Amino acid sequence: MSGLIYRNLKIYFSDKSGIFFSLMGAMISFVLYLIFLSQNMISNWSNVPDTKLLLDPWLIGGTMTITAITTTLSSLSLMVQDRERHVLADISLTDIGFLGIQFSYLITAMIVGIIMQLVMYFIMGIYFMIVDKSSMDLQIFPQILGIVILSSFIWTIFNLLLLSFAKKVDTLGKIATIVGTASGFFAGVYMPIGVLPATVQKIMKYTPALYDTAMYRDVLMQSQLRQSFKNLPNSVENKFKEVMGINVKWNHQILTIQQDILTIVVFAIVIAVLIILISKISRRVIISKV
Amino acid sequence: MKILQTKNLVKKFGNKIAVDNISLTIDQGEMIALLGPNGAGKSTTINMLIGMIQPTSGQIIFGEETTDIRAYRSKIGVVFQSSVLDSNLTVADNIMLRVKMYFKHINVQSLINKFELSSIWKQKYGSLSGGQKRRVDIARALISDPKLLFLDEPSTGLDIQTRTKIWEILDGLRKETGLTIIFTTHYLEESQNADFIYIIDQGKLIADDTVLELQKKYTKNILKVVYKTGKTQKMELDNKNEAIQILTDKKSAISDFEYRPGTMDDVFMNLTGRKIR
Ligand SMILES: Nc1ncnc2c1ncn2[C@@H]1O[C@H](COP(=O)(O)OP(=O)(O)OP(=O)(O)O)[C@@H](O)[C@H]1O
Ligand SMILES: [Mg+2]
Repeated sequence: MSGLIYRNLKIYFSDKSGIFFSLMGAMISFVLYLIFLSQNMISNWSNVPDTKLLLDPWLIGGTMTITAITTTLSSLSLMVQDRERHVLADISLTDIGFLGIQFSYLITAMIVGIIMQLVMYFIMGIYFMIVDKSSMDLQIFPQILGIVILSSFIWTIFNLLLLSFAKKVDTLGKIATIVGTASGFFAGVYMPIGVLPATVQKIMKYTPALYDTAMYRDVLMQSQLRQSFKNLPNSVENKFKEVMGINVKWNHQILTIQQDILTIVVFAIVIAVLIILISKISRRVIISKV
Repeated sequence: MKILQTKNLVKKFGNKIAVDNISLTIDQGEMIALLGPNGAGKSTTINMLIGMIQPTSGQIIFGEETTDIRAYRSKIGVVFQSSVLDSNLTVADNIMLRVKMYFKHINVQSLINKFELSSIWKQKYGSLSGGQKRRVDIARALISDPKLLFLDEPSTGLDIQTRTKIWEILDGLRKETGLTIIFTTHYLEESQNADFIYIIDQGKLIADDTVLELQKKYTKNILKVVYKTGKTQKMELDNKNEAIQILTDKKSAISDFEYRPGTMDDVFMNLTGRKIR
């Protein structure tokens, strides 16, 4: 298996333009933020001190989610390409079994997701450190790493479900474009969830993106939230959290980070069941015989 | 010793029959050609033999009795019609990462020497010339030290020197290791390398024999005579004695002549009534 995983990783990291395009969604969110989102939001929350220091980690959180979504998709796409090029048939002549082959692609996608999220984390963190003098708290790094791994996992299997419908390399580009664009909205980065209509907000709660972002923001913004809101009434803080999508709200309950994690695990289980069901009833699937 | 046998192999795609009732028997150490024009069903046959697609009906038997490709797959090497190697990776990566996909210990040094890979070892596969690519393709297919090597059109698009070179290596391997080689081609002259030829047309097996027998059965020897008057005459003869007779009789009138045995082109022409391409 390690041979195949190495191969897949090497292919991903040797394709510079592929990497660039798989980070497109993340870069768009970053640039949009720099150009006007941040100004806009700072003026909206002028009563909160150090808004900029609050918003920087807010952006990092959302962009990490986008990165996880698009890079795992890009890595997993290799499987569809390999099937079309008969590479899978060729690999199945080796000693790696059928399951080993499938797992190799999944593990590759997870590793790619983890590496690229970490890269984005440090790039953005250092950028804001230089430009806005925001601090990068290394004490929260273990938690960040945990979320990085969990989000890489959930998006790998989410994308596996998505690619179950892509048999042709043709379709891949289209899927990548749609996912790249949609992820920014679903992760609540292109605009804060609070400014969107109620129905849209409801739809957003049916993908893992929102919860993924919420986990990140929870950890990344914690200390600055305490700092900025220490002299303000609780209601203002709650309003801010709700509008900006730092916590997800179900009816009247605000989810804790533990509940976010649980929700994501439930998503993972549901998606896994769906993938198995689809592979049973349809041959148009990514997990089928080579 | 029998190494591979098919019985009444059929493959349909929808209503279309790509392979129609083909039975082959291949012995260990043989060099076998599947010869046929574009769309004859050669690749489809190979793909069934290597377990990539399932036959609609019929049987494939490996060794003496195994019908399960899974049990046999590590004894198979395949060079696909369109390459399956990764163009973004180096030759070294393409070979060494493949080595890691097998459990057994593999020494690739002799393959590197045989296929002269050391000078292109660090080069990206995608940047190689067609002939270099093919050398890497074949070397990679031999990594697991297979008993059976399948080559789907190994020399399409290569110049004559490279082609000759590749056939030399393959022939050497066969003599050295007793490798069984099954290849497809529509180069008629290339099929002359084979011990045994299966000619396929529109999914059907239309002839199977050795090169010599095919020539004997389906062609005549050809005598072309150029007369001093400038007139030329082409004759089909059964044997050389006839030719000697004609040449002696007309000795004084002849300025030049050409005598050749029938080729695979003639075989194909006589079998199907048309040229292969
Ligand atoms: N997946 C498929 N679906 C439908 N038809 C197919 C499929 N694969 C092959 N065919 C058809 O089966 C026939 C045999 O194809 P095959 O690829 O085996 O030919 P070939 O002898 O290898 O030709 P070539 O010399 O061009 O490689 C062709 O008519 C082809 O169109
Ligand atoms: Mg073919």
